Amino acid sequence: MVKPIRNPDLSVRIGNIKLKNPVIVASGTFGFGEEYEDFFNLNRLGGIIPKGISLKPMVGNPPPRIFETEGGILNSIGLQNPGYQDFVKDKLPYFKNIKTHLIINFFGNTQKEYTELARCFDGVPGISGLEMNISCPNVERGGMAFGSEPKIVYRLVRAVRKSTKLTLIVKLSPNVTDISSIAKSAEEGGADAVSLINTFKAMAINIHSKKAELGNVIGGLSGPAIKPIALRMVWEVSQAVKIPVIGMGGIMKAEDAIEFILVGASAIQIGTANLINPRTGIEVIQGIKRYLIQNRIQRMQKLIGLFRN
Amino acid sequence: MALEIDGIVLRSERIKSLYFLLEIYCPPIAATIKPGQFIMLKVSDRYDPLLRRPFSVYKSYSGGHREKNKRGHLLILYKKVGKGTQKMTEFRRGQKVNMIGPLGNGFSLPPLPSPTNVILLGGGVGIVSLSPLADALGATQLFVFIGGKTRDDILCEEDFRKLNSTIFIATEDGSLGFKGTVIDLFLSQKRRFKCNPSHYMYSCGPIEMLKELARTVEFKGFICQASLETRMGCGFGACWGCVVKTIDPGTPYQRVCKEGPVFNLGHIVWE
Repeated sequence: MVKPIRNPDLSVRIGNIKLKNPVIVASGTFGFGEEYEDFFNLNRLGGIIPKGISLKPMVGNPPPRIFETEGGILNSIGLQNPGYQDFVKDKLPYFKNIKTHLIINFFGNTQKEYTELARCFDGVPGISGLEMNISCPNVERGGMAFGSEPKIVYRLVRAVRKSTKLTLIVKLSPNVTDISSIAKSAEEGGADAVSLINTFKAMAINIHSKKAELGNVIGGLSGPAIKPIALRMVWEVSQAVKIPVIGMGGIMKAEDAIEFILVGASAIQIGTANLINPRTGIEVIQGIKRYLIQNRIQRMQKLIGLFRN
Repeated sequence: MALEIDGIVLRSERIKSLYFLLEIYCPPIAATIKPGQFIMLKVSDRYDPLLRRPFSVYKSYSGGHREKNKRGHLLILYKKVGKGTQKMTEFRRGQKVNMIGPLGNGFSLPPLPSPTNVILLGGGVGIVSLSPLADALGATQLFVFIGGKTRDDILCEEDFRKLNSTIFIATEDGSLGFKGTVIDLFLSQKRRFKCNPSHYMYSCGPIEMLKELARTVEFKGFICQASLETRMGCGFGACWGCVVKTIDPGTPYQRVCKEGPVFNLGHIVWE
Protein backbone atom coordinates (compact mmCIF):
# COMPACT_ATOMS: atom_id res chain seq x y z
CA MET A 1 0.00 0.00 0.00
CA VAL A 2 1.26 3.48 -0.87
CA LYS A 3 1.80 5.69 2.14
CA PRO A 4 -0.59 8.66 2.11
CA ILE A 5 0.79 12.19 2.48
CA ARG A 6 -0.57 14.05 5.50
CA ASN A 7 1.41 17.20 5.95
CA PRO A 8 3.18 18.28 2.80
CA ASP A 9 6.07 20.70 3.25
CA LEU A 10 4.88 24.01 1.82
CA SER A 11 8.09 25.94 2.50
CA VAL A 12 10.04 27.65 -0.23
CA ARG A 13 13.18 29.75 -0.28
CA ILE A 14 13.50 33.21 -1.83
CA GLY A 15 17.03 34.57 -1.38
CA ASN A 16 17.73 34.36 2.35
CA ILE A 17 14.05 34.15 3.23
CA LYS A 18 12.51 30.81 4.04
CA LEU A 19 8.77 31.20 3.57
CA LYS A 20 6.61 28.72 5.49
CA ASN A 21 4.31 28.65 2.47
CA PRO A 22 4.46 30.23 -0.98
CA VAL A 23 1.61 32.71 -0.44
CA ILE A 24 2.51 36.37 -0.11
CA VAL A 25 0.05 39.26 -0.11
CA ALA A 26 0.88 41.90 -2.70
CA SER A 27 1.85 45.50 -2.14
CA GLY A 28 -0.95 48.04 -2.53
CA THR A 29 -3.70 45.52 -1.86
CA PHE A 30 -3.00 44.76 1.79
CA GLY A 31 -2.75 48.26 3.28
CA PHE A 32 -0.36 48.15 6.22
CA GLY A 33 -1.54 44.76 7.43
CA GLU A 34 -3.75 45.91 10.27
CA GLU A 35 -6.69 46.48 7.90
CA TYR A 36 -6.94 42.66 7.65
CA GLU A 37 -6.56 41.67 11.30
CA ASP A 38 -10.34 41.34 11.80
CA PHE A 39 -10.54 38.68 9.12
CA PHE A 40 -7.80 36.13 9.89
CA ASN A 41 -4.54 35.48 11.71
CA LEU A 42 -1.90 37.21 9.60
CA ASN A 43 0.78 34.85 10.94
CA ARG A 44 -0.55 32.16 8.64
CA LEU A 45 0.63 33.94 5.49
CA GLY A 46 3.97 33.13 3.88
CA GLY A 47 4.78 36.82 3.70
CA ILE A 48 3.28 40.30 3.77
CA ILE A 49 4.22 43.17 1.48
CA PRO A 50 2.64 46.44 2.70
CA LYS A 51 1.87 49.45 0.56
CA GLY A 52 4.90 50.82 -1.33
CA ILE A 53 7.10 53.31 0.49
CA SER A 54 9.01 56.30 -0.88
CA LEU A 55 11.63 58.46 0.82
CA LYS A 56 9.19 61.37 1.21
CA PRO A 57 5.43 61.18 1.81
CA MET A 58 3.23 61.13 -1.30
CA VAL A 59 -0.34 62.49 -1.34
CA GLY A 60 -1.43 60.31 -4.28
CA ASN A 61 -3.62 61.01 -7.29
CA PRO A 62 -6.89 62.95 -7.42
CA PRO A 63 -10.05 60.82 -7.37
CA PRO A 64 -11.72 58.94 -8.91
CA ARG A 65 -8.96 56.44 -8.30
CA ILE A 66 -10.73 53.20 -9.00
CA PHE A 67 -13.02 51.85 -11.70
CA GLU A 68 -14.35 48.36 -12.18
CA THR A 69 -14.06 46.82 -15.64
CA GLU A 70 -15.25 43.39 -16.78
CA GLY A 71 -13.27 40.93 -14.66
CA GLY A 72 -10.83 43.60 -13.61
CA ILE A 73 -10.10 46.78 -11.70
CA LEU A 74 -8.48 49.94 -12.99
CA ASN A 75 -6.68 51.93 -10.34
CA SER A 76 -4.62 55.07 -10.15
CA ILE A 77 -3.93 55.47 -6.44
CA GLY A 78 -0.72 57.29 -7.23
CA LEU A 79 1.44 55.48 -4.67
CA GLN A 80 0.01 57.48 -1.77
CA ASN A 81 2.12 56.66 1.29
CA PRO A 82 3.38 58.29 4.49
CA GLY A 83 7.05 58.22 3.47
CA TYR A 84 9.95 56.35 5.06
CA GLN A 85 10.08 58.16 8.40
CA ASP A 86 6.39 58.00 9.28
CA PHE A 87 6.21 54.43 8.01
CA VAL A 88 8.92 53.35 10.43
CA LYS A 89 7.41 55.40 13.25
CA ASP A 90 3.66 54.68 12.76
CA LYS A 91 3.21 51.55 10.64
CA LEU A 92 6.18 49.29 11.27
CA PRO A 93 5.56 48.75 15.03
CA TYR A 94 2.35 46.87 14.19
CA PHE A 95 4.42 44.12 12.56
CA LYS A 96 6.48 43.50 15.71
CA ASN A 97 3.89 40.98 16.87
CA ILE A 98 3.32 39.40 13.48
CA LYS A 99 5.28 36.22 12.99
CA THR A 100 5.59 36.10 9.24
CA HIS A 101 8.05 37.61 6.82
CA LEU A 102 7.71 41.31 6.22
CA ILE A 103 8.92 42.37 2.79
CA ILE A 104 9.06 46.10 2.10
CA ASN A 105 8.01 47.39 -1.30
CA PHE A 106 9.79 50.64 -2.13
CA PHE A 107 10.38 52.99 -5.03
CA GLY A 108 12.02 56.28 -5.98
CA ASN A 109 12.08 58.96 -8.60
CA THR A 110 15.85 58.83 -9.01
CA GLN A 111 18.50 56.14 -8.61
CA LYS A 112 19.78 57.98 -5.55
CA GLU A 113 16.37 57.77 -3.88
CA TYR A 114 16.28 54.02 -4.47
CA THR A 115 19.75 53.44 -3.00
CA GLU A 116 19.12 55.76 -0.06
CA LEU A 117 15.89 53.97 0.84
CA ALA A 118 17.52 50.54 0.47
CA ARG A 119 20.27 51.66 2.84
CA CYS A 120 17.73 53.06 5.34
CA PHE A 121 15.74 49.82 5.46
CA ASP A 122 18.88 47.73 5.75
CA GLY A 123 19.31 48.63 9.40
CA VAL A 124 15.66 48.38 10.44
CA PRO A 125 14.86 45.31 12.56
CA GLY A 126 11.88 43.14 11.61
CA ILE A 127 12.32 43.41 7.86
CA SER A 128 13.09 40.21 5.94
CA GLY A 129 13.52 41.59 2.46
CA LEU A 130 12.89 44.33 -0.06
CA GLU A 131 10.82 44.40 -3.18
CA MET A 132 11.74 47.25 -5.49
CA ASN A 133 9.04 48.66 -7.73
CA ILE A 134 10.68 49.69 -10.99
CA SER A 135 7.44 50.63 -12.77
CA CYS A 136 7.57 54.27 -11.70
CA PRO A 137 8.74 57.18 -13.82
CA ASN A 138 12.41 58.12 -13.84
CA VAL A 139 12.37 61.90 -13.44
CA GLU A 140 15.96 62.14 -14.64
CA ARG A 141 15.04 60.48 -17.92
CA GLY A 142 11.93 62.41 -18.93
CA GLY A 143 9.56 60.28 -16.88
CA MET A 144 10.17 57.03 -18.74
CA ALA A 145 9.65 54.09 -16.41
CA PHE A 146 12.86 52.69 -14.89
CA GLY A 147 11.69 49.22 -15.64
CA SER A 148 11.34 49.55 -19.39
CA GLU A 149 14.98 49.43 -20.47
CA PRO A 150 17.33 46.51 -19.67
CA LYS A 151 20.46 48.65 -19.26
CA ILE A 152 18.80 51.02 -16.82
CA VAL A 153 17.34 48.14 -14.86
CA TYR A 154 20.79 46.54 -14.61
CA ARG A 155 22.39 49.76 -13.35
CA LEU A 156 19.60 50.51 -10.89
CA VAL A 157 19.48 46.99 -9.44
CA ARG A 158 23.28 46.84 -9.14
CA ALA A 159 23.32 50.15 -7.25
CA VAL A 160 20.56 49.01 -4.89
CA ARG A 161 22.27 45.63 -4.45
CA LYS A 162 25.36 47.42 -3.16
CA SER A 163 23.22 49.38 -0.68
CA THR A 164 21.58 46.50 1.15
CA LYS A 165 22.25 43.01 2.43
CA LEU A 166 18.55 42.21 2.63
CA THR A 167 17.00 39.78 0.18
CA LEU A 168 16.26 41.86 -2.90
CA ILE A 169 13.25 41.17 -5.12
CA VAL A 170 12.71 43.22 -8.27
CA LYS A 171 9.06 43.71 -9.24
CA LEU A 172 8.68 43.83 -13.00
CA SER A 173 6.31 45.85 -15.13
CA PRO A 174 4.45 44.06 -17.92
CA ASN A 175 4.43 47.29 -19.95
CA VAL A 176 7.64 46.41 -21.77
CA THR A 177 8.62 44.89 -25.11
CA ASP A 178 10.42 41.88 -23.70
CA ILE A 179 9.93 41.11 -20.04
CA SER A 180 12.47 38.24 -20.09
CA SER A 181 15.33 40.56 -21.03
CA ILE A 182 14.34 42.92 -18.19
CA ALA A 183 14.30 39.97 -15.80
CA LYS A 184 17.76 38.90 -16.94
CA SER A 185 19.07 42.43 -16.39
CA ALA A 186 17.70 42.35 -12.84
CA GLU A 187 19.38 38.98 -12.28
CA GLU A 188 22.70 40.25 -13.61
CA GLY A 189 22.36 43.33 -11.43
CA GLY A 190 22.27 41.09 -8.38
CA ALA A 191 18.56 40.57 -7.63
CA ASP A 192 17.77 37.54 -5.45
CA ALA A 193 14.40 37.10 -7.15
CA VAL A 194 11.99 38.78 -9.54
CA SER A 195 8.28 39.24 -8.92
CA LEU A 196 5.86 39.77 -11.76
CA ILE A 197 3.62 41.21 -12.96
CA ASN A 198 2.68 44.71 -11.89
CA THR A 199 -0.50 46.13 -13.46
CA PHE A 200 -1.09 46.81 -17.15
CA LYS A 201 -1.40 50.46 -18.15
CA ALA A 202 -5.02 50.91 -19.13
CA MET A 203 -7.94 53.34 -19.26
CA ALA A 204 -11.72 53.66 -19.54
CA ILE A 205 -13.97 56.42 -20.88
CA ASN A 206 -17.45 57.37 -19.74
CA ILE A 207 -19.32 57.90 -23.01
CA HIS A 208 -21.99 60.08 -21.38
CA SER A 209 -19.66 62.64 -19.82
CA LYS A 210 -16.98 61.93 -22.45
CA LYS A 211 -14.44 62.01 -19.64
CA ALA A 212 -11.98 59.44 -18.33
CA GLU A 213 -13.28 57.22 -15.54
CA LEU A 214 -10.05 57.85 -13.58
CA GLY A 215 -8.94 61.26 -12.33
CA ASN A 216 -5.45 60.43 -13.60
CA VAL A 217 -6.89 59.21 -16.97
CA ILE A 218 -4.45 56.27 -17.14
CA GLY A 219 -4.32 53.62 -14.44
CA GLY A 220 -3.25 50.04 -13.93
CA LEU A 221 -5.44 47.04 -14.75
CA SER A 222 -5.47 44.10 -12.36
CA GLY A 223 -7.74 41.19 -11.52
CA PRO A 224 -8.76 37.92 -13.20
CA ALA A 225 -8.91 39.61 -16.62
CA ILE A 226 -5.09 39.78 -16.75
CA LYS A 227 -4.30 36.29 -15.44
CA PRO A 228 -3.62 34.51 -18.74
CA ILE A 229 -1.14 37.20 -19.83
CA ALA A 230 0.53 37.20 -16.41
CA LEU A 231 0.86 33.43 -16.54
CA ARG A 232 2.49 33.56 -19.97
CA MET A 233 4.98 36.17 -18.75
CA VAL A 234 5.83 34.19 -15.62
CA TRP A 235 6.45 31.11 -17.76
CA GLU A 236 8.73 33.01 -20.13
CA VAL A 237 10.68 34.66 -17.31
CA SER A 238 11.03 31.36 -15.42
CA GLN A 239 12.79 29.90 -18.44
CA ALA A 240 15.01 32.95 -18.84
CA VAL A 241 16.44 33.35 -15.31
CA LYS A 242 17.95 31.09 -12.65
CA ILE A 243 16.82 33.13 -9.64
CA PRO A 244 13.39 32.40 -8.10
CA VAL A 245 10.36 33.92 -9.75
CA ILE A 246 7.38 35.16 -7.74
CA GLY A 247 4.24 35.03 -9.84
CA MET A 248 1.20 37.26 -9.61
CA GLY A 249 -1.57 38.73 -11.74
CA GLY A 250 -5.24 37.97 -11.23
CA ILE A 251 -4.85 35.07 -8.79
CA MET A 252 -8.29 34.61 -7.24
CA LYS A 253 -8.11 31.01 -5.96
CA ALA A 254 -5.75 28.11 -5.30
CA GLU A 255 -6.11 26.69 -8.82
CA ASP A 256 -4.82 29.96 -10.27
CA ALA A 257 -1.86 29.93 -7.89
CA ILE A 258 -1.02 26.32 -8.83
CA GLU A 259 -0.94 27.27 -12.51
CA PHE A 260 1.69 29.91 -11.74
CA ILE A 261 3.72 27.44 -9.68
CA LEU A 262 3.53 24.81 -12.41
CA VAL A 263 5.00 27.23 -14.97
CA GLY A 264 7.89 28.03 -12.67
CA ALA A 265 6.89 30.41 -9.87
CA SER A 266 8.55 29.56 -6.54
CA ALA A 267 6.01 31.70 -4.71
CA ILE A 268 2.95 33.68 -5.64
CA GLN A 269 1.34 36.95 -4.59
CA ILE A 270 -2.33 37.65 -4.03
CA GLY A 271 -3.36 41.16 -5.03
CA THR A 272 -6.79 42.30 -6.16
CA ALA A 273 -8.48 39.23 -4.67
CA ASN A 274 -7.62 40.49 -1.15
CA LEU A 275 -9.95 43.43 -1.71
CA ILE A 276 -12.91 41.21 -2.53
CA ASN A 277 -12.31 38.24 -0.27
CA PRO A 278 -9.91 39.29 2.48
CA ARG A 279 -9.28 35.61 3.34
CA THR A 280 -8.10 34.67 -0.16
CA GLY A 281 -4.51 34.15 0.99
CA ILE A 282 -5.55 31.58 3.61
CA GLU A 283 -7.85 29.78 1.17
CA VAL A 284 -5.05 29.59 -1.41
CA ILE A 285 -2.65 28.08 1.16
CA GLN A 286 -5.26 25.44 2.06
CA GLY A 287 -5.95 24.75 -1.61
CA ILE A 288 -2.30 24.25 -2.47
CA LYS A 289 -1.94 21.89 0.47
CA ARG A 290 -4.94 19.86 -0.67
CA TYR A 291 -3.58 19.71 -4.20
CA LEU A 292 -0.23 18.40 -2.97
CA ILE A 293 -1.94 15.72 -0.89
CA GLN A 294 -4.19 14.67 -3.76
CA ASN A 295 -1.25 14.51 -6.14
CA ARG A 296 0.96 12.75 -3.60
CA ILE A 297 3.64 15.42 -3.68
CA GLN A 298 5.52 15.66 -0.38
CA ARG A 299 7.20 19.00 -0.93
CA MET A 300 5.88 22.16 -2.54
CA GLN A 301 9.38 22.66 -4.02
CA LYS A 302 8.76 19.68 -6.30
CA LEU A 303 5.72 21.33 -7.84
CA ILE A 304 7.66 24.33 -9.09
CA GLY A 305 8.04 24.26 -12.88
CA LEU A 306 6.48 20.82 -13.36
CA PHE A 307 4.88 22.10 -16.54
CA ARG A 308 6.97 21.12 -19.54
CA ASN A 309 6.02 21.94 -23.08
CA MET B 1 -14.80 44.83 14.61
CA ALA B 2 -15.69 44.00 11.01
CA LEU B 3 -16.88 40.50 10.15
CA GLU B 4 -16.82 38.66 6.86
CA ILE B 5 -19.94 36.58 7.14
CA ASP B 6 -22.85 34.98 5.28
CA GLY B 7 -26.39 36.21 5.84
CA ILE B 8 -29.62 34.71 4.57
CA VAL B 9 -31.97 36.61 2.29
CA LEU B 10 -35.42 36.87 3.89
CA ARG B 11 -37.03 39.29 1.48
CA SER B 12 -36.08 40.92 -1.78
CA GLU B 13 -38.70 43.12 -3.39
CA ARG B 14 -39.34 46.26 -5.34
CA ILE B 15 -40.83 49.16 -3.36
CA LYS B 16 -41.36 51.54 -6.22
CA SER B 17 -39.80 52.45 -9.58
CA LEU B 18 -36.06 51.68 -9.25
CA TYR B 19 -36.03 51.23 -5.47
CA PHE B 20 -35.74 47.82 -3.85
CA LEU B 21 -35.73 46.46 -0.33
CA LEU B 22 -33.46 43.64 0.77
CA GLU B 23 -33.98 42.01 4.15
CA ILE B 24 -31.18 39.80 5.41
CA TYR B 25 -30.87 37.64 8.51
CA CYS B 26 -27.45 38.32 10.00
CA PRO B 27 -27.52 38.68 13.80
CA PRO B 28 -23.81 39.50 14.37
CA ILE B 29 -23.88 42.54 12.08
CA ALA B 30 -27.43 43.57 13.03
CA ALA B 31 -26.36 43.64 16.66
CA THR B 32 -23.43 46.02 16.22
CA ILE B 33 -24.01 48.26 13.19
CA LYS B 34 -24.56 51.96 13.96
CA PRO B 35 -26.36 54.62 11.90
CA GLY B 36 -24.16 55.77 9.03
CA GLN B 37 -22.01 52.65 8.99
CA PHE B 38 -22.16 50.39 5.96
CA ILE B 39 -21.62 46.86 4.73
CA MET B 40 -19.85 45.53 1.62
CA LEU B 41 -22.10 43.06 -0.12
CA LYS B 42 -20.88 40.38 -2.51
CA VAL B 43 -23.36 40.43 -5.34
CA SER B 44 -21.92 37.64 -7.48
CA ASP B 45 -19.84 34.49 -7.07
CA ARG B 46 -18.37 35.10 -10.51
CA TYR B 47 -15.91 37.77 -11.61
CA ASP B 48 -18.42 40.20 -13.06
CA PRO B 49 -19.22 42.32 -11.16
CA LEU B 50 -15.90 41.75 -9.45
CA LEU B 51 -15.99 44.12 -6.51
CA ARG B 52 -18.35 44.12 -3.57
CA ARG B 53 -20.89 46.92 -3.36
CA PRO B 54 -21.23 49.30 -0.38
CA PHE B 55 -24.63 49.85 1.25
CA SER B 56 -25.61 51.84 4.26
CA VAL B 57 -28.11 50.08 6.44
CA TYR B 58 -31.71 51.25 6.45
CA LYS B 59 -32.85 49.35 9.53
CA SER B 60 -31.18 46.89 11.86
CA TYR B 61 -32.68 44.92 14.71
CA SER B 62 -30.38 43.73 17.47
CA GLY B 63 -30.96 40.56 19.50
CA GLY B 64 -32.74 42.50 22.23
CA HIS B 65 -35.09 44.40 19.95
CA ARG B 66 -38.68 44.67 21.14
CA GLU B 67 -40.01 43.30 17.83
CA LYS B 68 -39.06 39.70 18.46
CA ASN B 69 -39.72 38.48 14.93
CA LYS B 70 -37.33 41.12 13.54
CA ARG B 71 -34.34 40.28 15.74
CA GLY B 72 -31.13 39.82 13.77
CA HIS B 73 -32.57 41.39 10.64
CA LEU B 74 -30.82 43.95 8.44
CA LEU B 75 -32.68 46.02 5.87
CA ILE B 76 -31.07 47.59 2.85
CA LEU B 77 -33.00 50.02 0.68
CA TYR B 78 -31.21 50.50 -2.62
CA LYS B 79 -31.66 51.95 -6.05
CA LYS B 80 -31.04 49.81 -9.11
CA VAL B 81 -28.37 51.76 -10.98
CA GLY B 82 -25.95 49.29 -12.58
CA LYS B 83 -25.02 45.67 -13.01
CA GLY B 84 -24.25 45.16 -9.31
CA THR B 85 -27.66 46.30 -8.10
CA GLN B 86 -29.29 44.55 -11.07
CA LYS B 87 -27.83 41.27 -9.75
CA MET B 88 -29.19 42.08 -6.30
CA THR B 89 -32.73 42.35 -7.61
CA GLU B 90 -32.36 38.69 -8.58
CA PHE B 91 -31.65 37.61 -4.98
CA ARG B 92 -34.17 35.05 -3.77
CA ARG B 93 -35.51 34.26 -0.32
CA GLY B 94 -33.37 31.66 1.44
CA GLN B 95 -30.17 32.23 -0.50
CA LYS B 96 -26.90 33.05 1.21
CA VAL B 97 -25.29 36.40 0.72
CA ASN B 98 -21.77 37.26 1.86
CA MET B 99 -21.10 40.57 3.61
CA ILE B 100 -18.36 42.46 5.36
CA GLY B 101 -19.37 44.83 8.12
CA PRO B 102 -19.97 46.94 10.05
CA LEU B 103 -17.62 49.34 8.24
CA GLY B 104 -16.81 53.03 8.49
CA ASN B 105 -17.19 55.53 11.31
CA GLY B 106 -20.95 56.22 11.24
CA PHE B 107 -22.67 59.37 12.46
CA SER B 108 -21.75 60.87 15.83
CA LEU B 109 -24.72 61.79 17.95
CA PRO B 110 -24.78 65.47 18.99
CA PRO B 111 -22.95 66.32 22.21
CA LEU B 112 -25.02 66.60 25.35
CA PRO B 113 -27.00 68.56 26.29
CA SER B 114 -28.78 67.68 23.06
CA PRO B 115 -29.38 70.51 20.60
CA THR B 116 -32.95 71.68 20.56
CA ASN B 117 -33.29 71.11 16.83
CA VAL B 118 -31.71 68.69 14.44
CA ILE B 119 -31.88 69.12 10.68
CA LEU B 120 -31.69 66.08 8.43
CA LEU B 121 -31.22 66.68 4.73
CA GLY B 122 -31.12 63.86 2.21
CA GLY B 123 -31.15 63.60 -1.55
CA GLY B 124 -32.42 60.54 -3.40
CA VAL B 125 -31.41 57.26 -1.84
CA GLY B 126 -29.14 59.20 0.55
CA ILE B 127 -32.08 59.78 2.90
CA VAL B 128 -32.00 56.06 3.72
CA SER B 129 -28.93 56.34 5.96
CA LEU B 130 -30.57 59.22 7.87
CA SER B 131 -33.58 57.11 8.85
CA PRO B 132 -31.80 54.95 11.49
CA LEU B 133 -30.05 58.11 12.70
CA ALA B 134 -33.45 59.76 13.26
CA ASP B 135 -34.49 56.73 15.34
CA ALA B 136 -31.30 57.01 17.40
CA LEU B 137 -31.86 60.73 18.03
CA GLY B 138 -34.94 59.82 20.07
CA ALA B 139 -37.22 62.61 21.10
CA THR B 140 -35.28 65.48 19.56
CA GLN B 141 -37.29 67.85 17.36
CA LEU B 142 -36.34 66.95 13.79
CA PHE B 143 -36.58 69.03 10.65
CA VAL B 144 -36.34 66.62 7.75
CA PHE B 145 -35.64 67.74 4.19
CA ILE B 146 -36.18 65.05 1.57
CA GLY B 147 -35.33 65.67 -2.06
CA GLY B 148 -35.52 63.77 -5.32
CA LYS B 149 -35.95 64.21 -9.03
CA THR B 150 -39.60 63.06 -9.03
CA ARG B 151 -42.13 61.84 -6.47
CA ASP B 152 -40.84 58.31 -7.08
CA ASP B 153 -37.49 59.34 -5.64
CA ILE B 154 -38.94 60.48 -2.31
CA LEU B 155 -38.14 57.78 0.22
CA CYS B 156 -38.65 57.07 3.92
CA GLU B 157 -41.24 59.80 4.45
CA GLU B 158 -43.44 57.49 6.58
CA ASP B 159 -40.48 56.56 8.83
CA PHE B 160 -39.91 60.19 9.74
CA ARG B 161 -43.64 60.86 10.19
CA LYS B 162 -43.63 58.44 13.12
CA LEU B 163 -41.10 60.63 14.91
CA ASN B 164 -41.21 64.10 16.38
CA SER B 165 -40.53 65.70 13.01
CA THR B 166 -41.45 68.42 10.57
CA ILE B 167 -41.04 67.19 7.01
CA PHE B 168 -40.19 69.21 3.91
CA ILE B 169 -40.27 67.62 0.49
CA ALA B 170 -38.76 68.87 -2.74
CA THR B 171 -38.92 67.37 -6.21
CA GLU B 172 -37.10 68.80 -9.19
CA ASP B 173 -40.12 68.28 -11.45
CA GLY B 174 -42.60 69.53 -8.86
CA SER B 175 -44.53 66.26 -8.81
CA LEU B 176 -44.53 66.33 -5.01
CA GLY B 177 -44.01 69.20 -2.56
CA PHE B 178 -41.73 72.11 -3.34
CA LYS B 179 -40.58 72.41 -6.97
CA GLY B 180 -36.80 72.61 -7.04
CA THR B 181 -33.83 71.01 -5.35
CA VAL B 182 -33.78 70.08 -1.71
CA ILE B 183 -31.09 72.73 -1.23
CA ASP B 184 -33.38 75.40 -2.71
CA LEU B 185 -36.06 74.27 -0.30
CA PHE B 186 -33.70 74.34 2.65
CA LEU B 187 -32.55 77.87 1.76
CA SER B 188 -36.16 79.03 1.55
CA GLN B 189 -36.68 77.79 5.10
CA LYS B 190 -33.33 78.86 6.48
CA ARG B 191 -34.60 81.78 8.48
CA ARG B 192 -36.46 79.27 10.64
CA PHE B 193 -33.12 78.04 11.82
CA LYS B 194 -31.34 81.25 12.74
CA CYS B 195 -27.85 79.90 12.63
CA ASN B 196 -27.03 79.12 16.19
CA PRO B 197 -25.19 76.34 17.96
CA SER B 198 -28.38 74.69 19.10
CA HIS B 199 -28.84 73.52 15.53
CA TYR B 200 -27.18 70.37 14.40
CA MET B 201 -27.29 69.10 10.86
CA TYR B 202 -26.81 65.76 9.11
CA SER B 203 -26.81 65.15 5.41
CA CYS B 204 -26.41 62.38 2.88
CA GLY B 205 -26.81 62.43 -0.86
CA PRO B 206 -25.04 62.77 -4.17
CA ILE B 207 -21.67 64.58 -4.17
CA GLU B 208 -23.16 67.41 -6.25
CA MET B 209 -25.83 68.00 -3.62
CA LEU B 210 -23.33 68.04 -0.77
CA LYS B 211 -21.10 70.38 -2.73
CA GLU B 212 -24.04 72.74 -3.22
CA LEU B 213 -24.92 72.47 0.45
CA ALA B 214 -21.36 73.28 1.49
CA ARG B 215 -21.28 76.25 -0.87
CA THR B 216 -24.63 77.82 -0.08
CA VAL B 217 -24.93 77.24 3.62
CA GLU B 218 -22.78 79.39 5.80
CA PHE B 219 -21.83 77.18 8.64
CA LYS B 220 -21.79 79.87 11.26
CA GLY B 221 -23.02 77.98 14.25
CA PHE B 222 -23.90 74.94 12.17
CA ILE B 223 -22.09 71.69 12.39
CA CYS B 224 -22.99 69.44 9.49
CA GLN B 225 -22.01 65.80 9.38
CA ALA B 226 -22.24 64.51 5.84
CA SER B 227 -22.13 60.91 4.71
CA LEU B 228 -20.30 60.57 1.39
CA GLU B 229 -20.75 58.15 -1.45
CA THR B 230 -17.78 57.27 -3.66
CA ARG B 231 -16.67 54.29 -5.70
CA MET B 232 -15.07 51.80 -3.37
CA GLY B 233 -12.58 49.02 -3.83
CA CYS B 234 -12.40 47.05 -0.61
CA GLY B 235 -14.46 49.08 1.89
CA PHE B 236 -12.12 48.35 4.80
CA GLY B 237 -9.22 50.70 4.24
CA ALA B 238 -6.74 48.62 2.30
CA CYS B 239 -6.78 49.96 -1.26
CA TRP B 240 -7.06 53.75 -0.89
CA GLY B 241 -9.34 53.84 -3.95
CA CYS B 242 -12.29 55.71 -2.39
CA VAL B 243 -10.55 58.85 -1.16
CA VAL B 244 -11.96 62.36 -0.89
CA LYS B 245 -9.93 65.56 -0.59
CA THR B 246 -9.98 67.19 2.84
CA ILE B 247 -8.42 70.22 4.50
CA ASP B 248 -5.99 67.96 6.40
CA PRO B 249 -2.56 69.30 5.43
CA GLY B 250 -0.70 66.05 6.11
CA THR B 251 -3.02 63.53 4.45
CA PRO B 252 -5.33 65.54 2.17
CA TYR B 253 -6.80 62.45 0.52
CA GLN B 254 -8.69 60.47 3.16
CA ARG B 255 -10.54 57.20 2.79
CA VAL B 256 -14.32 57.44 2.63
CA CYS B 257 -14.49 53.82 3.84
CA LYS B 258 -12.27 54.26 6.90
CA GLU B 259 -11.97 57.89 8.03
CA GLY B 260 -15.55 58.27 6.67
CA PRO B 261 -18.07 57.80 5.25
CA VAL B 262 -19.20 60.56 7.62
CA PHE B 263 -17.13 63.74 7.50
CA ASN B 264 -17.62 67.20 8.85
CA LEU B 265 -18.89 68.92 5.71
CA GLY B 266 -16.61 71.88 6.37
CA HIS B 267 -13.55 69.60 6.17
CA ILE B 268 -14.14 68.53 2.57
CA VAL B 269 -12.35 70.29 -0.25
CA TRP B 270 -14.59 70.38 -3.33
CA GLU B 271 -12.95 70.25 -6.72
